[in-house]
Parts: sequence; structure tokens; C-alpha cells
Amino acid sequence: MLLEARQLFGGYGGMDILNGVDVAVEAGEIVVIVGPNGAGKSTALKAIMGFVPLKSGHVAFAGADITGKVPEDLAALGIGYVPHERNVFRTLSVEENLAMGGYLRREAIAAAAARIYDLFPALKERRRQRAGDLSGGQRQMVALGRALMVQPRLLLLDEPTAGLSPSVIEEIFERIQVINRSGVGILMVEQNVRAALSIAHRGYVLATGRNRFSDSAAALLANREVAEAFLAGVGNGGDA
Amino acid sequence: MAAMPEGSAVLDFVGHYLVPGLVTGSIYALGAVGISLLFGILRFAHFAHGDVMTLGAYLALSLVAGLGWPALATIPLAAAGTGVITVVLDRAFYRPFRRRPTIISVIASFGVMLMIRSAVQLIWGVEPLEYKPGIEKPLIFFGQLRIQERHIWMVAVTVALVLALHLMLTRTRMGRAMRAVSDEPDLARVAGISAERVIQVTWFIGGALAATAGVFIGMDSQIDSYMGWNLLLPIFAAAILGGIGQPMGAAAGGLVLGLIEELSSYPWIGDDPLISPDYKSGLAFAIMVALLIWRPTGLLRGRQF
Repeated sequence: MLLEARQLFGGYGGMDILNGVDVAVEAGEIVVIVGPNGAGKSTALKAIMGFVPLKSGHVAFAGADITGKVPEDLAALGIGYVPHERNVFRTLSVEENLAMGGYLRREAIAAAAARIYDLFPALKERRRQRAGDLSGGQRQMVALGRALMVQPRLLLLDEPTAGLSPSVIEEIFERIQVINRSGVGILMVEQNVRAALSIAHRGYVLATGRNRFSDSAAALLANREVAEAFLAGVGNGGDA
Repeated sequence: MAAMPEGSAVLDFVGHYLVPGLVTGSIYALGAVGISLLFGILRFAHFAHGDVMTLGAYLALSLVAGLGWPALATIPLAAAGTGVITVVLDRAFYRPFRRRPTIISVIASFGVMLMIRSAVQLIWGVEPLEYKPGIEKPLIFFGQLRIQERHIWMVAVTVALVLALHLMLTRTRMGRAMRAVSDEPDLARVAGISAERVIQVTWFIGGALAATAGVFIGMDSQIDSYMGWNLLLPIFAAAILGGIGQPMGAAAGGLVLGLIEELSSYPWIGDDPLISPDYKSGLAFAIMVALLIWRPTGLLRGRQF
């Protein structure tokens, strides 16, 4: 098991948003977390990444206990994280964003950056532009590229397609599959539920901070109860 | 606008207004850059920054007295010493409040300000002191243009330091990390950047540059325990003028402010100073207020205070 989070309880400042979340990712899997607004999807990712204090629960990565570790340490262990908002260094150029992603590697940054440009050719010609001046889709590519520079074995993606146009959404999902096929496990929170489940291996449906359904992506898509309760009308709105 | 001054009038303008403006501007620039860098990384206004300048000036005084070096030569040591002291002050008085609302750090900086000033008064006394008594002969250019050699050094060293900082911020791993932390601190953590290392380096640079400015003041006149306090307003005005969190903007803001102060008393219209030199310090205040009202992000689109 690449990632195993068990019975996560916690939240910000006494407010419990997570009331017992279980999430696991096998090596090579794409796993999606869906659910209504306020279900605790983003908070679960942040808790795994060490941004949200846990009251109880355990997180293990590649067999080692990482509960309570800070984000800096998790990056060094090989977990990449792309937040929903503020996910690029706005005043840094595309090139510098990637270099910062490779901050821990010190050497071979150029070669790693070249692979990112292969994955997202649109970034190559814009590599000297300020990331803050790019379009939403390009910024998401910079964010993904930056996270990949950490050379992660696991990538946590918080709503990677939020606010993007349908064609860009398709492109991002397609790139996520390419990244996954290169051996990177992916755990993502998504509002574009159907599209996300269609590229995923497994999925979790969260509601009020706990697991409601856990199944293969195909089974979740076929589940009428899930479809009626969670798939209809979900597609926009904030996160929690 | 008056007609361009001619002949010896040009030399008078350069010698008595332009050069002093550049010198004052250099001092403001070195202080403002630190304010701006620190605000970018730590998100609080460091009100003890003027007194860090004072501290640097007094460290240089001891080096001048102890080693017999000229003041200019003591700058590397005085700057490094002040840099280290500011890192230690951060450890003791700002780091404990890192995760608390920034207003607590602002208040703490008032405390640090008083501590530095009291320590300076305790160690070196309250009387104004000089690095080197007596008057220096100026260099003479074109037969009539008198420029003090130290003024040339002060402007040159400032330009060199600001350029070096720019290269550091854009070309080095640590410099880019400083900008990354300034942009998005949480995202920087996700990339594995240790914010504490970045913060330490930022304090060191801010302290060292402030100390350099302090030594410049001492080289130009005398030093006293309130010298930095008196500069706090213009260096904040310069930092805001350049766009807070934009170090290069702050440097430009310092230079512009110094030039405005000096050039405003030039007799642009008629024979009297445009604005009486007595109002120099009010000018910085007026510019700061005007900026905060009409362009709070400064000239280079910085953060809002």
C-alpha cells in the first residue's frame, strides 16, 4: 500500500471537519474523492499533507508512519501536493516555479524540467513568463509540473480542473493519466465527478467528514444511490 | 520649471542638490530594501529597523576605535555583526510569535526597538559621537565641482549592494526560495523549502544592509542613539513608494525619495528654495500619506500594507 490514512479525525481550531475518514492508494492507482460541499474532501488531503492538525488517526506512506509530519518532510519523502488555490508562485517565472519544485534535488533540475516541458509543451514557450500572468489551465499545468519536480511517488491533487473550460479539463485529465502511467499514484479531490471517476481506478464518496461509499470507480458510477445523492448537480461550488 | 541652470550653476546644482540627494537616497534605499524583504517574507512591518541601523553605526564606531580602520573599511564586519545580531533577535523575540497574528510581531518590534536603543545608550552613551573628527577636503572636478570622496563611495557601495541583492534573488537557489516564500509560504513548504532557513537569511541581509546605511550616516555626520528612529519614517515611505514586498522597488523608492527631499529645496522658481529645507522630513510623510490614499500598492505593484 502506497498511502493508507485510517480514521482521520480533526479540523481547524476545534472545528471537526473530519469525523473518521479512511483513504488508501495502491502504487499505480488513480483514486478519486468526491462528495458534496463541506464533506471534508480538501481537508482530508490537507490533513494527509500535514497542514491540518489531526485529533486522532494514522497516516502511513510506503509502509512508514507519517502521522503528524510537516509538509516539508513529506515533500522529501516523495509526496507531491497541488492545492486547489494559490498553487503557483505568481511572481516567479514558469522556469523558476519548476526550479522551486526541484528545490530538494539540487542537481539534474534541467533534465527534470525538460521532462515537464515534454509533458506540457505549452509551458516551454512560456517558460520565462510570470506564472501569475498565465491562463487558468496553464497555471494548473505549472502547478502539476512543479509538484512533479519533487519526483513524487504519490501526487495529491485538490480539484485540478476547477474553473477550467471543458477542453482544458479533458487535457488535464489526460495528462494526469500519463503521469499515473509513469508510476505515480494519484489521489485527487474532484468536483467534475463523472469525468474524474471515468479515469480513476477507485473512488471514495465522503459526506459530513466520513466515508459514505468506497468502491471501484466503475461500481460507483453504476451505483444508483451514489448517482442520485452525489453525482447529480455536483459540479461547481466551493471546497472544504 | 525654471530654465536649466548653466555653467557654474549646473555644478552648483550637482554639488549641492543632486549629490546630496543621491547620498540621502542611498541611505534610504538600504533601509527600505530590508523593510520590504522582511515584509514580503514575514508579513509584518519591522519598526525596529531604524534602530538596527543605529546598532550597525555603533558597531562600526567600536571597530574604528578598536582597529583604527577607516569607517568605510569596517562596513563588512559591522554589517555581518549586525546581521548576526538581528538573526538572534528574531530567534528570541519574533520566532515565538510566528504562528500568531502578525500584529503581535509588530508590537514585539516596538519592544526590540526600545531594547536596541537602550543597549546602545548603555554601551556607548547618549552624546553624539563621530568616527573621525575634523573636515575632509572634497575632490574637485571641472575646477569648481566639489564632491566628497565618501559620497562617491556611499553611492557606489549602495549600487553594488542592490545589484548583488538583485542577482542573489534572481539567480541563486536561496534567492529564488526567498521569493517563493514571499509569494506563497504554504506552497513553498510543499516544495520542501524550509521557511526558517529563508527567514534567517532574510534577517541577516536586512540587518546587514541597514547597518551599512547606519555607517554611511556616521561617515557623513555624527551618530547618536536616535539616528535610526529619525530615519524610520522615510525608509517606510520609501518601501511603500516602491511597492512593499518588492525589494528593487524599495531601492528605487529610497533613491527617489532622497532626490525629492534634496531637490525640493532647489530654487526651481525664482531665487528662493521651492520648499524650505526645514520641511524636508515632512515631505516624506506627505508622500507616504498620498501613496497610502491613492496608490497603496506603490509604484511597482507591491502588496498592500
